[in-house]
Amino acid sequence: MILSLVFFSFSFAFYILTALLYLGNWVFQKKWLGQLATSMAVVALFSTTMILIMRAGESGHAPFSNLYESMVLFVWATNLGYLMMEYKYKFKTAGAFVMSFEFLAMLSATMLPYRYKSVEPLNPALQNKWHWMVDLFSRFGLEKYAIGWLDFHVFTTFIGYAAFAISFGLAIMFLLKNRYETRGRNNALIGSLPEARMIDELSYRAIAWGFPFLAVGIVTGAIWANSAWGAYWTWDPKETWSLITWFIYAAYLHARVTRGWRGRKAAYLSIAGFLAVIFLYWGVSFVLPGLHAYA
Amino acid sequence: MQEKVNEVAVTRSERVWYQTVGSKVWYFFNSLTLTIFVLMTLAGSSIFGTVIEQNQQASQYFAAYGEKWTRVILYTGLNDMYHSWWFAALLGVLTMNIIVCTFERFPPKWKGLLANKSPEKFEPRIIDKCSYHQTLNCPGDVKEVRERVLAAFKKKRFKVSSSSREGGHYFYARKGVIGRFGSDVVHISLLLILLGAMVGSYYGYKDFRIVYVGTNMTVPETDFEVRLDKFWIDYYDTGQIRQYNSLLTVIEGEEEVLTKQIWVNEPLFYKGIRFYQSSFGNAWDRINSANMVLVSKKTRMAEGSEFTVGWNEVKQIPGSRYSIRLAGYTADFAYDERNNTVFSQTAEANNPAISVEVYEGERLVSTPWLFLKYPGIFPAIPDSEYDLVFTDYRGILYSGISLNKDPGTNIVWLGTGVMGLGFILAFFVFHRRVWVYVRENGGSTEVKLGGLTNKNNFVLEKDIKEIVENINAG
Repeated sequence: MILSLVFFSFSFAFYILTALLYLGNWVFQKKWLGQLATSMAVVALFSTTMILIMRAGESGHAPFSNLYESMVLFVWATNLGYLMMEYKYKFKTAGAFVMSFEFLAMLSATMLPYRYKSVEPLNPALQNKWHWMVDLFSRFGLEKYAIGWLDFHVFTTFIGYAAFAISFGLAIMFLLKNRYETRGRNNALIGSLPEARMIDELSYRAIAWGFPFLAVGIVTGAIWANSAWGAYWTWDPKETWSLITWFIYAAYLHARVTRGWRGRKAAYLSIAGFLAVIFLYWGVSFVLPGLHAYA
Repeated sequence: MQEKVNEVAVTRSERVWYQTVGSKVWYFFNSLTLTIFVLMTLAGSSIFGTVIEQNQQASQYFAAYGEKWTRVILYTGLNDMYHSWWFAALLGVLTMNIIVCTFERFPPKWKGLLANKSPEKFEPRIIDKCSYHQTLNCPGDVKEVRERVLAAFKKKRFKVSSSSREGGHYFYARKGVIGRFGSDVVHISLLLILLGAMVGSYYGYKDFRIVYVGTNMTVPETDFEVRLDKFWIDYYDTGQIRQYNSLLTVIEGEEEVLTKQIWVNEPLFYKGIRFYQSSFGNAWDRINSANMVLVSKKTRMAEGSEFTVGWNEVKQIPGSRYSIRLAGYTADFAYDERNNTVFSQTAEANNPAISVEVYEGERLVSTPWLFLKYPGIFPAIPDSEYDLVFTDYRGILYSGISLNKDPGTNIVWLGTGVMGLGFILAFFVFHRRVWVYVRENGGSTEVKLGGLTNKNNFVLEKDIKEIVENINAG
């Protein structure tokens, strides 16, 4: 019995349930449905955390070393980011979008071919640990649990991805809402979404979180590459695509903050940015050859 | 009116041509449209470099894209696009764009934010124009309410300056002004990173060496050499490679200065040069030792047992009058008829062959090539009842070591550090400004507040809400 798989199955069920509850809350506007949805999202978050912890225990290293593990990390970070946003800004309709997306992400993780899922020992390039941490932990015989730039790199990058995913969900919501607002039509479902202005602002806030995290992810990746590959930047396809994505979001921020390019155009740019993220994450791994082929 | 036009015309004509051009260039770079255009162009064009494999032979592009497109690729430099002139030019435009925009925007921003401090300079009606504003009526007299307002802002860690005139009290409270400069800090950090990259590409180099145990590698532009003392591979229990390691010794003149074990992720750094464990492999032109056996030409049966000869070693073949020296090896045997030489087609051991010298007593009788996969295709010893068969060998591993000199790296790291600081300022420090007007209003006190922020309206709204609660609570 592999515990991480048990937790995966549970989490999968939890995300279906969470998505349904948020959708139900949106459609029927019942307070108890909303509360239940949020608690279910917390349960799903806990369960996803357990997948990662169990996986780390089974493989003996931080659970960031293949596509399957990174998908779970992505789902985890998106869920956490969403819950933080819900707590801060108190609105739940976005949950219907974000959690449906989480369900799709979990589904695609289950459909990955076996070689992207199996627990593998770390190959030489992935063995990157901070010396000071190894030294510190080895005093207690825990040096196995020391982490390094690689783990930091993957972690920050995925927080960035999660923020972009949330922004993407909000951008779609915005477009829906905006369409109805500008045409002056009324629809109970769309009407229950928050004001377009607020969705727009939140979509921007999500990118404002994701952008620096992606930058830190790129930089820590460069630091790692500088000790593993012999140079901090080698124009490997993954590196290049991360830069492409970063340029798109940089354009978004400049367009928005300084020229007041808000609303619809901003939403389209956010969607374009997220398409680049998807290609950066999946496309590069499957389509393009390069050093990042393992994740 | 006519006069004015003439005046303008005169000042225009008084400008020397290069001033006109200069101001046009300046105007061109002082544009956010340009920023967005360059960013999107960089993003769009970079895609080509990930789809078209970089730095390949022209023949490979020819095979993949045909003649016409190969010509296009080579002409536009898409085969090495990140080092092409036009990619550099785009980065140059971005750099100029950043520099000009910073010069143009930073000073007025600085001045504006400093000048804005004075509470004497605003009229109560500007409060109503703020994106977030509110008017409260508080019980109590003006003086008491004024103190409450001050305390409420202090509690939220706002800086407050105040003044009183015409029976009213004016406050200007602000917080997080430094966040305004985050974007400038990020822009400067980008310049630093680009500078570091440029320094690296002008004063640095990359090199790759195949090194055998016991040999030295020369290091360009330095006065030291590096010797490979040992190379080994660690395995997991499952047989997968865990790590590969080289033991390197730095030799300066005659002196051994330093010995360090390197592995993937753990380079040696000495005098500005980094030595990376980047690969390993089987040598294609030498081996450690070869196993052979003497056979009878007639029966093809072994005469005596298998024996091992070390590289370059001369050995008496047990139970015979011959001795043998192992003189050469090639992993993938090929023969070049034009200049009568033997070479290895690939680095893989597809057709391993050894070259030996066979002696009878002191006399060299033959120098045959023996093939592992094709025993006996050429008789090894002419005019003899015996033949030699090559049965096995022990290869030599080489250590593939990358050399990298990049004096720009530290500038790049400095740039990334500055960038981190800039991001914290730009995204997580919000500049909030609140103007307050307090006056007597028929027995009670009227407080008008209005706030502006550069970014996060929610944070400002929350701040003001709490401040209002504090004022009301007294």
